[in-house]
Amino acid sequence: MAQYVKKDDDRDEEEYSPFLGIEKGAVLQEARVFNDPQLDSRRCSQVITKLLYLLNQGETFTKVEATEVFFSVTKLFQAKDIGLRRMVYLIIKELSPSSDEVIIVTSSLMKDMNSKTDVYRANAIRVLCRITDGTLLTQIERYLKQAIVDKNPVVASAALVSGIHLLQTNPEIVKRWSNEVQEAVQSRAALVQFHALALLHQIRQNDRLAVSKLVTSLTRGTVRSPLAQCLLIRYTSQVIRESSMNNQSGERPFYDYLEGCLRHKAEMVIFEAARAITELNGVTSRELTPAITVLQLFLSSSKPVLRFAAVRTLNKVAMTHPMAVTNCNIDMESLISDQNRSIATLAITTLLKTGNESGVDRLMKQITNFMSDIADEFKIVVVDAIRSLCLKFPLKYRSLMNFLSNILREEGGFEYKKAIVDSIVILIRDIPDAKESGLLHLCEFIEDCEFTYLSTQILHFLGLEGPKTSDPSKYIRYIYNRVILENATVRASAVSTLAKFGAMVDSLKPRIFVLLRRCLYDNDDEVRDRATLYLNTLGGDGSVVETDKDVKDFLFGSLDIPLANLETSLKNYEPTEEPFDISSVPKEVKSQPLAEKKSAGKKPTALGAPPPAPTSTVDAYERLLSSIPEFSTFGPLFKSSAPVELTEAETEYAVNVVKHIFDKHVVFQYNCTNTIPEQLLENVVVVVDASEAEEFAEVATKPLKSLPYDTPGQTFVAFEKPEGVPAVGRFSNVLKFLVKEVDPSTGEAEEDGVEDEYQLEDSEIVAADYMLKVGVSNFRNAWESLGPDFERVDEYGLGPRESLSEAVNAVINLLGMQPCEGTEVVAANSRSHTCLLSGVYIGNVKVLVRLSFGVDSSKEVAMKLAVRSEDESVSDAIHEVVAN
Amino acid sequence: MLLAVLIANSEGNILLERFNGVPGEERLHWRSFLVKLGADNLRGVKSEELLVACHKSVYIVYTVLGHVSIYLVGKDEYDELALSEAIFVITSAIKDVCGKPPTERLFLDKYGRICLCLDEIVWKGLLENTDKDRIKRLIRLKPPTEF
Repeated sequence: MAQYVKKDDDRDEEEYSPFLGIEKGAVLQEARVFNDPQLDSRRCSQVITKLLYLLNQGETFTKVEATEVFFSVTKLFQAKDIGLRRMVYLIIKELSPSSDEVIIVTSSLMKDMNSKTDVYRANAIRVLCRITDGTLLTQIERYLKQAIVDKNPVVASAALVSGIHLLQTNPEIVKRWSNEVQEAVQSRAALVQFHALALLHQIRQNDRLAVSKLVTSLTRGTVRSPLAQCLLIRYTSQVIRESSMNNQSGERPFYDYLEGCLRHKAEMVIFEAARAITELNGVTSRELTPAITVLQLFLSSSKPVLRFAAVRTLNKVAMTHPMAVTNCNIDMESLISDQNRSIATLAITTLLKTGNESGVDRLMKQITNFMSDIADEFKIVVVDAIRSLCLKFPLKYRSLMNFLSNILREEGGFEYKKAIVDSIVILIRDIPDAKESGLLHLCEFIEDCEFTYLSTQILHFLGLEGPKTSDPSKYIRYIYNRVILENATVRASAVSTLAKFGAMVDSLKPRIFVLLRRCLYDNDDEVRDRATLYLNTLGGDGSVVETDKDVKDFLFGSLDIPLANLETSLKNYEPTEEPFDISSVPKEVKSQPLAEKKSAGKKPTALGAPPPAPTSTVDAYERLLSSIPEFSTFGPLFKSSAPVELTEAETEYAVNVVKHIFDKHVVFQYNCTNTIPEQLLENVVVVVDASEAEEFAEVATKPLKSLPYDTPGQTFVAFEKPEGVPAVGRFSNVLKFLVKEVDPSTGEAEEDGVEDEYQLEDSEIVAADYMLKVGVSNFRNAWESLGPDFERVDEYGLGPRESLSEAVNAVINLLGMQPCEGTEVVAANSRSHTCLLSGVYIGNVKVLVRLSFGVDSSKEVAMKLAVRSEDESVSDAIHEVVAN
Repeated sequence: MLLAVLIANSEGNILLERFNGVPGEERLHWRSFLVKLGADNLRGVKSEELLVACHKSVYIVYTVLGHVSIYLVGKDEYDELALSEAIFVITSAIKDVCGKPPTERLFLDKYGRICLCLDEIVWKGLLENTDKDRIKRLIRLKPPTEF
């Protein structure tokens, strides 16, 4: 091949490529050599290599070019040269000729397929299967079936791999081969077994019983290749997943097989088995232990791929079973300095999930060195992990917050900076002690921030939180600097923030006026307009000031109207003499927030457009309820539950309920969706039977006038209950409505409808509904400050439980309180555990709970419950909840 | 599925690329992503030392062999370990064809043979042969020595 290298003695020949200056047109010309009566095999091979080079560089041939080359190539079947024949097979596959051209090679290939030379057969099968269509396939099916059970493994593998590809295009034909494939699964050749197993599973994948049988027989037999063993482990875990739904009791099927694979000699198999075990549904710590042990060994492997695989798997395990991974912490710490940054990042984020409070400082020191040499995408992962860690160990906020502020000052892209700012904001919100230092860090950041979006968001946040701090005046300098130094968008934001300080802090007002007046001469309209507006509202221009409450509502209140509704109204507004009237915009919330699954963890949202989760949802509910006259007298809303589904998924009508708790009332908000396009529902109500909730009396119902297809709506039912009593009960619900047929072509409903009803699941009011989850940053301080006056302590037997962790979670859910300092996580294999909970009980009474659990060898769990609160009766009420 | 096999020279120019089940419009993205990954991480790495990464739901295993870098991208059953198995077969086959870890020039000189090896090892995204001696015979249309 050296012949097409330009020789140049002055230069090192290494620099020259044999394909230097290669050009498609010229190569196509050269391909004419295939038509020569006297074939030069060597030259033909060289030209095919050039064609392959072009194709492998992403070059494409036009239809005409490809056809021409393909026809010439077919002539090469006459050549006797074996090397050339092998190239011909390859180039035909690469050219992938169209179905009308294929005919020209099929006879040659069919001949090769029956050749005595095995390797011709294997190659011919691969080429035919690559270029064939359904009709030709039926002609060659007989040969393919034979090939699958051919004694030469190369031929069998070629046929089996072809089968895997053909299953996508001609499944009905390939499915007829299952007997032969079944036979090939028993082959003594390792790779044939691997390919046969893959194909057999694909053929049978929709037949659960068949897959289960396949797994049962193979897990008992011998599987030769590690690759096949890995496939078998995957199929086995699939069978376990499906069978565990039916079989909750007793031993887990096939677990012994998986555990046995942990002792296999191939690392690939060991790892696959370990991963399969960690991914088992509801895996117990006893099941996990052997898998974690082998993964731990892999962490110190010399092979980076094994280290990566192990740390990636442990990282996932840490999300659900952090305590199970803690044994590996030392090995993982040594991976922080791993050359492979992916491994290092995974190690750090795992450590952040599993580390204990005392190790935080040391860990942060290690991370600091590491941050400077990884890419932004890895840094974001680390920042997210640090945020979670800080929420878990609020006492450590100082070092974690310092770390965040340090990295905020370093170089980085928008997404990274946004992740840091979001984290700081969340920490400020959740950890009151962190507020002042956090705000100052943000202020310093905006002094030198290149991202307008982040500056405006931070200014907005400062306006809300800054005035509530001990010394609001120290923030003003940072804010006013923005007015002097930044672009118009940031300046306008800064003006709004200044106004908020002016409204909230009387002592600052006169000085704020001075600053706002300077903004009246800004060269941007928006900045000037805002300054004028705020001076006017706050009375800075000497005009008569609106009441203090009005000003604050104006500055801090939200729009009070769903933005979607406002958008629709504005679109429908036709410009006339009459100005747009904002009060004409409907206030009813049309679309509902998606029902949260009870188990799903809430991911806090930060600065972004949707306002922070818990409080703002309650705000939205409160506004919605107070806009309904029947409920407006119920007083302040104490708590709204997450939506609870009352229908199965994908039924005709989807209904969930939100429970709103007031001092003397409970309102059920039923969010209904009609999923049938041909129906319009009218006068929708939920008829509630409260016979199993004796202390509740129905006082009002608000029906939903109309429920068209796919437009959610709400209906409400309100109950009265004794004031201050945490009454509980069960309610059965029936959805009643008038159903009208809708003509799908016109979308118009018929005039007459039929009364109908639909049974919903029962809803419940439980003790946890009277408790708000409110965390404390330092449980010990909070506990001491509440004092022992109203402390109530008692002991309870919880009977035999599945595990200690299950018992702890059951009590947390029963009380509905916020676990503090990560104490909801129970260490694997531990015999005792202490859990700290905090909350606010109805009537705004602060409650703290200290739970001590112990478990004996027969899994009997005993619990000591200590409650402190601001009110004696509340401490007693908590004990009553547990006692019942 | 083994989504891509990509071989580039030390400057990041593509010498050989084979995609399976990757739409045409995404190939450019993958090409530049992999080359950047190599440029960021492969400097100073020992020949045949494996590096690994994951991007969304796909895995990438890559290495340097002589003066060329080799990247494999896979998903589902072709996870990091299966890919390391495949890259091991590919590197041994290339070393076998070239007689040593190749320079760019040597690699291009043996380009046709290397294409044949890859054809035996990966076929449309599935691993077909893993034994280098068998591959060596198969590309010369010789049957495997023992079965």
